[in-house]
This record gives sequence, structure tokens and C-alpha cells, in this order.
Amino acid sequence: MTLNAFLSLLNGAGVTISVSLAGIALGVPFGLALALLRWQRVPLLAPLATVYVSLLRSTPAVTLCLLIFFALPVIGIEIDALSAAVATLALNTAAFNCEIWRSGLMNFSRDQIEAARTFGMSGPLTFRRIIFPQLWRTCLPSLVNEMTLLIKSSTAIAVIGVAEITRAAIRIGAQTYDPLPPMLVATGIYIVLVLVFVGLQRFTERVYGHAGGAA
Amino acid sequence: MTDTASESRDAPVLAPVLEISGLTKTFDDKVVLDGVSLTVARGQTVCLLGPSGSGKSTLLRCVNWLEKPDQGTVLLCGERIGMRPGGVVPMGNAELAKLRMRMGTVFQHFNLWPHLTVLQNIIEAPVHVQKRRREEVIAEAEALLENVGLADKRDAFPSRLSGGQKQRVGIARALAMKPELLLFDEPTSALDPELVGEVVAVMKSLSQAGSTMLVVTHEMGFARETADKVVLMDGGRVVEEGGPEEFFGNPRTERARQFLQRYVSA
Ligand SMILES: Nc1ncnc2c1ncn2[C@@H]1O[C@H](COP(=O)(O)OP(=O)(O)OP(=O)(O)O)[C@@H](O)[C@H]1O
Ligand SMILES: [Mg+2]
Repeated sequence: MTLNAFLSLLNGAGVTISVSLAGIALGVPFGLALALLRWQRVPLLAPLATVYVSLLRSTPAVTLCLLIFFALPVIGIEIDALSAAVATLALNTAAFNCEIWRSGLMNFSRDQIEAARTFGMSGPLTFRRIIFPQLWRTCLPSLVNEMTLLIKSSTAIAVIGVAEITRAAIRIGAQTYDPLPPMLVATGIYIVLVLVFVGLQRFTERVYGHAGGAA
Repeated sequence: MTDTASESRDAPVLAPVLEISGLTKTFDDKVVLDGVSLTVARGQTVCLLGPSGSGKSTLLRCVNWLEKPDQGTVLLCGERIGMRPGGVVPMGNAELAKLRMRMGTVFQHFNLWPHLTVLQNIIEAPVHVQKRRREEVIAEAEALLENVGLADKRDAFPSRLSGGQKQRVGIARALAMKPELLLFDEPTSALDPELVGEVVAVMKSLSQAGSTMLVVTHEMGFARETADKVVLMDGGRVVEEGGPEEFFGNPRTERARQFLQRYVSA
């Protein structure tokens, strides 16, 4: 494998990482917003969120990506490939994140919320001060798991021509007639990425995990 | 029993802190509160007794307006809870919060916030709801912890405490709001028997210091020695109400006699 080939693989890795991070950064809070709508049973919006989740959960990422990239322009929204890629990952992961946040919310201690209410805390204050600081800790392992799934499924965005890591590896393999080395490097990069996420999760749990246990 | 108790009972009418009248609450088809009226005067300790399912917790929840009664009124120092003056328009969340701030609740299962330390649990609402100065609240919280004998647990997390210690933190947390009324819902029922005493002692000293308290309890000893008034509920109604000597010594109703036989005998 030439240096050039290796660099274009690294470039692909950079695209995979940045698109994935952008998807996570948008998808995790969006998923939380959806979960809150459903948990609070907000009229109109809660059923919409439910429909959104079941639709997105049953749409393959590749299909969603094509849909966003080719269907949006039809209704007059121009979108470049990179934005479509980020949107795909964010919208897809949000559906799964919604379910993670929601199960965390539904299992959250009613007693603690009631205590907050009797002390005059408003809903938003209760969420900010009491619920969220515990919720993210309990949801973190599942969220990180979903993040690693997102990284691995991010290769779906190759379908609209985004030169992410797998696409770069395939292209190099086709040029050199030797597909194995670039594929191995690509695989190695995925593994490192996932390990970094899991390591970050462990680290976060060690630093913030001291307050566990029921009161 | 004690002279002080009968004195405060016979004292000239004190301004009521809590006035519950004609409270009715139905869940589905089940009548849980059936026209309950109850008054707690300033400085009084009123003990609410009754068998399981008689509606004691529901009554306290109605006082907090966590549960909306179907009928009847709840007044805190003369102010209607849950309804704007006129009694037609329900209060908004902010108005309710203002009233809830003036009551402190102690829960059977403590309901401490496990991600906050003991001190943080106590100062949470005074700082973030009442918006009082943090340094001032911390100083008060430390004094409260001293009073309940937990000064050394200031920075511990609730999961590290025994049940009795948790409940004393729960009491300190309620007191930190400087409430006009303290509500207790079976504060010792979840405790191991050997830990009940330390919590009861704190409650007694609060009562003696003149706190206004409505206490749901099965601790007959506490009721007998501390209450200014004992109220027995059954089937969603107040079936007997009176001073502790009369109630425990010479109950008027058959229902009270049965209840006392079950809970006080042995
Ligand atoms: N949210 C609710 N929905 C339906 N029924 C309820 C609800 N809350 C309470 N109940 C019913 O109301 C009745 C009175 O309950 P409550 O908790 O007030 O009794 P209690 O006197 O506090 O009893 P305990 O001593 O067991 O705590 C019970 O039969 C209970 O099942
Ligand atoms: Mg109860």
C-alpha cells in the first residue's frame, strides 16, 4: 500500500469520525427531546414522536440516506452530500436514543420527582437538577452502545458518494488489485474508534459514578 | 398525660395553620376521602392514625395538591391551596409552588436525592426554589445537621446512611425550607425497629420547640406523649378526634376501641 493510499484511508477515517460525531451531537439531544415529548405525553407531539421512532427504526440507513439526498431536492430543499450524511445518521440514531432515554425516564424514581414537587420545584427545574444528572449516568452505557453501532453503520453514507473509510478502502483496493491491506487498515480504524468510545465511557463512569445507589 | 399538652389544647383559639374542610376524593369508583375536615393550629402537633387504606396518605397528598380533591377546601394560613380566590380557577404551577414552599414534607421512604450529598439535599430547594443566598442556607443547613446529630455526615451520599440517618436528613431537608407546616407520612414505618427511636426523638423535640406538625404515624407512643390532638381515620372519614388522654384512655367510639386494641395491645 502506498503512502498516498494510506493518506486517503486516513482521510476517509476523518470523514467517518467527523460525520459520526456530528450525527451523535445532534442525534443524542434530539432523541432526548423526543423521549421527553413521549414521557410527558404532550398532546399531538407525543404521538408524532412515536410514529417518528417506529418509522425511523424500520428504515435502513442506506435507504434513509438516499431518501434524504434525492428526495429533499424534489421538494425544493438543496442539500449537499455531507449534510445529507450527517442528517441521516442523526435522524436514525435519534430514534434509538429516544427509546434509551425514554426507558431511563420511565424507570426514574417517582418518589424523587414527587419530593421535588412538594418542595416547590418546577418541572424544568426538577428535570435539570434532579432527573438529568442521574438519567445520563444510567443511560450512558446504552447510549455509547448506540454510538458504536452508529459508527459502524455510518458506512451507509458511501451510497451518496461520501468518501468515508470503507469507501476509501474499496477504492484503494480496486486501484491496487490488492483489497486486503486497505480493508484490514479500515477494520483496525473502526476497532480503535469503538474502543476509544468505550474507554471514554469507562472513564466517565469512574469520574462521575460515585453517587450511585438508591437513597 | 402531661400538663403542657393539655394547656396548649385548652389555650385560647390559636390561628389555624391548616384548615381542611369537607375533603372528598374518589379514585375510579372507590371513595378514598369522604368529607374529611381537620384543623391544625399554630404550634400544634396533630397525629393522624388509621388502618392501612383509610386515606391518610391521600389526605396529605391533597394538602400538597399532588392529588386534586373532588370537593372541599384546604387552607394554609387562610390561603386556599390549589384554587385561586373565588374557588373556580385552578392555580398555575408557579402559584402552587409558592404554597408548597411553605410546607415541608417528610416521606415514609425518605425520598432523598441520591446524586446529591446530605448537605446538597438540604440546600437544594432553599437555594434553587426559594432563591435564598447560598452561604446563608449552608450555614443554616449545618446548624440543622448539628440539631439532628448528623454534622459529620454533611458530605456523605444518602446511600452511605442508615435508614434512621436518612430520615433525619429528610427532616432537616424539610426544615431548611423554614416551613409553616410540617407534614409527616409514616416517617418511621420503613425503619428497622432499633432505628425508630432516633427519628422519634427528633420529631419530639421539634414538637416541643413549637413546630406545627401533621403526623401520620403508627407510633402510638409518640402520639400519646407528643400529640396535642389525635385524629383517627377509617374508610375515608374521621371517626374520632380528641386529646391523647381521652383518645387512648377513654375512646368514645367502638371503632376507636377496636383500632386501639389492634395497635396498642401487647
Ligand atoms: N393514585 C391512586 N389510584 C387509585 N387508587 C388509589 C390511588 N392512591 C391511593 N389509592 C387507594 O386509596 C386508598 C387509600 O390509600 P392511602 O394511601 O391514602 O391510604 P393510607 O391510609 O395512607 O394507607 P397506608 O397506611 O397503607 O399508607 C387505598 O385503597 C388505595 O389503594
Ligand atoms: Mg399511607
